Amino acid sequence: MEALQSLLDARMWSLVGTSTWQTVVMVFLSTIFSMILGLPIGVLLHVTSSEEQGGIIPRPVFYSILSRIVNILRSFPFIILMIVLMPLSRLIIGTSIGTMATVIPLSIAAAPFVARVIESSLKEVDPGVVQAAKAMGSTNWQIIYKVLLPEAMPSLASGVTLTIINLIGYSAMAGAIGGGGLGDLAIRYGYQRFSPAYMFVAVVVIIIMVELIQFIGDRITARLIAKR
Amino acid sequence: MEIRLRNLRRNYGSLHAVDDVSLTIPSNTVYGIIGKSGAGKSTLVRLVSMLEKPDQGEVYYDDKRVDNLSKEELINERRHIGMIFQTFNLFSSRNAGENIAYPMEICHMDKDYIKKRTEELLALVGLEGRGKAPISTLSGGQKQRVAIARALATNPSILFCDEATSALDPQTTRSILSLIKEIQKKMNLTVVMITHQMEVVRDACDRVAVLDAGHIVEEGLVSDIFSSPQTDVTKDFLSSLTNVRESMVRWSKDGGHYTLRFRGSTTDEPIISSISSVAGAVFNIRAAGVQVVNGEEMGVLVADIGPDEASAEKAVKMLKERGVSVEEESKEGM
Repeated sequence: MEALQSLLDARMWSLVGTSTWQTVVMVFLSTIFSMILGLPIGVLLHVTSSEEQGGIIPRPVFYSILSRIVNILRSFPFIILMIVLMPLSRLIIGTSIGTMATVIPLSIAAAPFVARVIESSLKEVDPGVVQAAKAMGSTNWQIIYKVLLPEAMPSLASGVTLTIINLIGYSAMAGAIGGGGLGDLAIRYGYQRFSPAYMFVAVVVIIIMVELIQFIGDRITARLIAKR
Repeated sequence: MEIRLRNLRRNYGSLHAVDDVSLTIPSNTVYGIIGKSGAGKSTLVRLVSMLEKPDQGEVYYDDKRVDNLSKEELINERRHIGMIFQTFNLFSSRNAGENIAYPMEICHMDKDYIKKRTEELLALVGLEGRGKAPISTLSGGQKQRVAIARALATNPSILFCDEATSALDPQTTRSILSLIKEIQKKMNLTVVMITHQMEVVRDACDRVAVLDAGHIVEEGLVSDIFSSPQTDVTKDFLSSLTNVRESMVRWSKDGGHYTLRFRGSTTDEPIISSISSVAGAVFNIRAAGVQVVNGEEMGVLVADIGPDEASAEKAVKMLKERGVSVEEESKEGM
């Protein structure tokens, strides 16, 4: 009964609204920044990989060092990465608490994931097409931005979808260091104040967001494929 | 543009993929390089087209050495050759017209020129108005036509065809080959055709080199190679061809120990009957037909010669004296 009552509570809805907006902002900004960080790394990983893997400028030593670094960053538990990166947030944003401050660790945590997603998308590009581009006298840079990236576009689109959904999950965890958002709401109100309704609503909103992103992402991917 | 190869070598570990190949591909011809899979043709075309560097030897385009170019020179030189492939290798992210525009885009050509030239090229390969077509909507033959247009976009002087018709059905193969021949004449191209199909050599090439285990085993005018093949590898290629020829009529499935090839003037003479009476040989004709190689008619006769070894030998000797090429099938071979 109590749960039902608080469900109808107008104050809760305004809190849910604010938290949802914070999550959207966090996820949106960290998607962009993780792309900016991860895309070049992913491209670099692919082009320096061995010739058999489709690398156009094979650099085995460089590749294995970069690959190792990406793996180490990916194996960091996110919660620890956030704590480690707090000083960085303070340096850039001026504070280590709040929605904007969590964008920094979120972006850095997602960047190595993005790099791998990009790398595996580029690896799927038909090597024959790359060979043809090379035979026509393309520079490496032209092969990257005129052939590899456009050819991998449908696969990149589903990679971005995957990244956004991952970031929604991460952003919920960011609530733990006071980042705000739906995860924060669920923990502070739902768990610490024993109001399961808050928890329930927060989780439902997250589920709806994930479903929506997946749906849109799938549509875009399908569109890109259909145009070919 | 003339292409010269001097003592080319390329090894993969202990495998000599291309082993001391020297070859001159004359300007303004359609030149075939035929070989079975694993003979080294793919490696050879990669070496000749500057996609790979040889371990030893030199490649010249006219008098310019191209196997040791710097990165910038290499990219520049590649923009002056065209290449088409077995799997077409078109960009699926671009439509037909955008595919053709690609080589011009990377040379930073003027946008209006690119547009005009793309239309020209679409017309040249018989695909007027199909510039907007997504690649997946095109048939195999149309895809290869787009690939040819793309290869010719920058007015190259050399066109490399790497098994360009191997993924196409016989009818489409013929139409693509006649298109290549037509374009060769129009643009004074040097066309290098890598293939494993003797039909391609017969229908399109002026000269041919036969590649086996990394070596050139035979080289010459297609009509010469067809009428008097010197090596077993070449004979093998020719025999596969004789069997599939539509203009061959076969009376019986078995037998046919000797394959006789009559060229040009010899086809007008009553050679068989005159030899038959002089040598006392009996010809049992199993199959016969006509091949046309580069406009030159060539009669093919598959026969057994009897009644005994001695007279057969004598008949073969006389046939050869009269300019008929005789090929003896090994007994196990049949």
